Amino acid sequence: MTKAIVINKTADQGLTEVLKFLLENNRVKGVFTLKKINKEGDVSYSLITNADDLKDSVPFYPLMPVNAAKILSRFTLKGPSNVPIVAVLKPCELRAFIELVKREQGSLENLFFISSTCAGVFPLEMAKERSIGKNLSKYFEKIKKLEILDDLRPVCRSCEEFVPYNADMTVKLIGENIDKKSIIFLNTKKAEKLVEGIKLDVSEKDLDKKTLDNFKSKRAEEKKKIFADIDNKTNGIDGLIDLFGRCIGCHACREACPICYCKLCEFDSSDCEYKPSNYEIELRKRGGLRVPPGTVYYHLGRLDHVSISCVGCGACEDVCPVDIPLSAIFKKIGESVQKVFDYIPGRAPKEDLPITTFEKEELKEFEE
Amino acid sequence: MNKPKNKAAVVKVKNDIEKSVLDFLKKGMDNEIFDAVLIPMKVPAGDSFAYVLIKDKSLLKDASYLPPVMPVQGANAVSSITRLGKGKMKIAAVLRPCETRATVELTKLGQTDLENIILISMDCPGVLPLSDFVKDPKKGMKLFDESIQKGEDKSMRPVCQICDKSSMVSGDIHIGTLGAKKDTFFVISNSNKGDEILSKLKISKKEDLDNWQSKVKNISEEKLKKRKNAHKTLKSKVGGLDNLLDTFSQCINCHNCMRVCPVCYCRLCYFDSDKVKHPSDDYLMRAEKTGSLRCPSDITLFQMGRMMHMSLSCVSCGMCEDACPMDIPVAQIFSMVADETQDLFDYVSGRDIEEPLPFVSYKEKELEEMEDAA
Repeated sequence: MTKAIVINKTADQGLTEVLKFLLENNRVKGVFTLKKINKEGDVSYSLITNADDLKDSVPFYPLMPVNAAKILSRFTLKGPSNVPIVAVLKPCELRAFIELVKREQGSLENLFFISSTCAGVFPLEMAKERSIGKNLSKYFEKIKKLEILDDLRPVCRSCEEFVPYNADMTVKLIGENIDKKSIIFLNTKKAEKLVEGIKLDVSEKDLDKKTLDNFKSKRAEEKKKIFADIDNKTNGIDGLIDLFGRCIGCHACREACPICYCKLCEFDSSDCEYKPSNYEIELRKRGGLRVPPGTVYYHLGRLDHVSISCVGCGACEDVCPVDIPLSAIFKKIGESVQKVFDYIPGRAPKEDLPITTFEKEELKEFEE
Repeated sequence: MNKPKNKAAVVKVKNDIEKSVLDFLKKGMDNEIFDAVLIPMKVPAGDSFAYVLIKDKSLLKDASYLPPVMPVQGANAVSSITRLGKGKMKIAAVLRPCETRATVELTKLGQTDLENIILISMDCPGVLPLSDFVKDPKKGMKLFDESIQKGEDKSMRPVCQICDKSSMVSGDIHIGTLGAKKDTFFVISNSNKGDEILSKLKISKKEDLDNWQSKVKNISEEKLKKRKNAHKTLKSKVGGLDNLLDTFSQCINCHNCMRVCPVCYCRLCYFDSDKVKHPSDDYLMRAEKTGSLRCPSDITLFQMGRMMHMSLSCVSCGMCEDACPMDIPVAQIFSMVADETQDLFDYVSGRDIEEPLPFVSYKEKELEEMEDAA
């Protein structure tokens, strides 16, 4: 059993009340959360310092405009926050931030994390069409019944890591009554201290493991289907050319990826710039050459660089102008690499990156 | 480069225009006038197009001189081959007029070497929006063909619909289909290089270009009118800071527009550099001023900055808008601003390789109207 704040309101409203308490009582100096930013109802992450501005906050709006890990990294890149800040993020965003911290691209100091059991988000495309608002009731109806909504992003429909790691507070967002009752679990002593003195009901509660296991098995089914769709294509160069052939080389996937933090990507560097004589040699060999070259190479390179830490957040696919099923590809490869090292990205800040850990005895199965 | 001469060569169309243009290119390779051709080709899965540098002539038959989309700006393909210097091979690059113009701009900016490149352009009917096309490539192919046959542009990208430079000749050779007699097309030379090629191919320039010129003039005047109107409407929607903030409100800061822009060639953009990474206190201070700070921040600043850096060379190619995941009308906005800034210097991006960039040419007397009245 865990201590939990229980409010007879929707999850959004309930949490906003807690956030308000935190700002008004100077427990934190700022709140990172999703917020409506204009009259059209467009939603973006915001750093809120004035409690009045929380009226437009929508912490659990089913959209990931950008992976919040990138925002937190930008915020703490030059050094830890000097004042306490609370961030509301999705489980995969929190995991991505932990991975960034391991790579010294951010700091956990002075940050509190609120996350939720996550039912997934709609594609960015729907934000563009401004059609999320009218689908909200359908969204909550489905997750109350533990069903998976077809309109959600494939990577969310197939996500089995929907319970957050490392959250100081977890909001229940999957299961019955979520539109009537908001249950905010206080997972850490830090969290209990943070809300000390709040005039709201606090009682002992449990995340219903059975319900969540049931939901997880449905997600696993979806995953099987989604992986099967690309299965025959990720093995062998012909399949890869089919998958990535329409890539326009914009590298938006890399830019949106929370794990790809390099200031200058190898694939934008002079290493990937070729002299005319290189082209001529290749051209003599092959007769024809795609220009600019290295389309599949770029994606394989990125897979190589990020797969150990890929949290399957789907930001890459959301921004791809030519709809390449990137998240399925990266999730599939990512999970297979992570399994080899028994590593779940973002599970624990203290868990070292496999690439930086030397073990005398490992990977024997790959030896000749 | 000179203005197109009044005489052009005429080539008879054998099967269809595409095959005849490819034939012309093949002849160039047969006669060793060029060693390779840079031209779009369908990708193996058949769902899009990519630039391919072809040396093996048998591959030419799969090339497409006028694909229905512009997945990569041709100027970027040329720059990718020649940024580090000229090669030994002579390469004929088949590009749309805006791609040719972007290549000219990149050359002025020192990002390509055209010495061994022959730029071949054509009358351009526009291209379809990339995102529409990839959703159903077969339908897209059909739609594009039908639009050309009917001479309609309503399915093309918005920025193509208002392009008044769709037949602008700034390369070496131009394939003119407008105003050509049935089953023929014009081959227009626009440079000494172009003249040389025609004479080597023994194609003589004896046909009058009047028909093509008057057709081009009509279309470009009509489009210019449409362009001015479109820009006027757009200006009323996006002009002023509040409207701008609104227009870019959905921007997710992916910088895709910058990366696909042929003119934005910087390896490390200012807006990706350390200059825009601040200590957390700075963000907090800014949030405290208004109560909250949108994150990522400085979206509009990025757009304005990019506009300032490249609008004099913007060719309105529309790549930025095609690549925007949020469908912000970036290309339309940039084309509007570009027209105004370029007008100011009586400059047309990519029109003429001899025309220096306004930023690098000093005139003692200019822009007096911008000076303080006092």
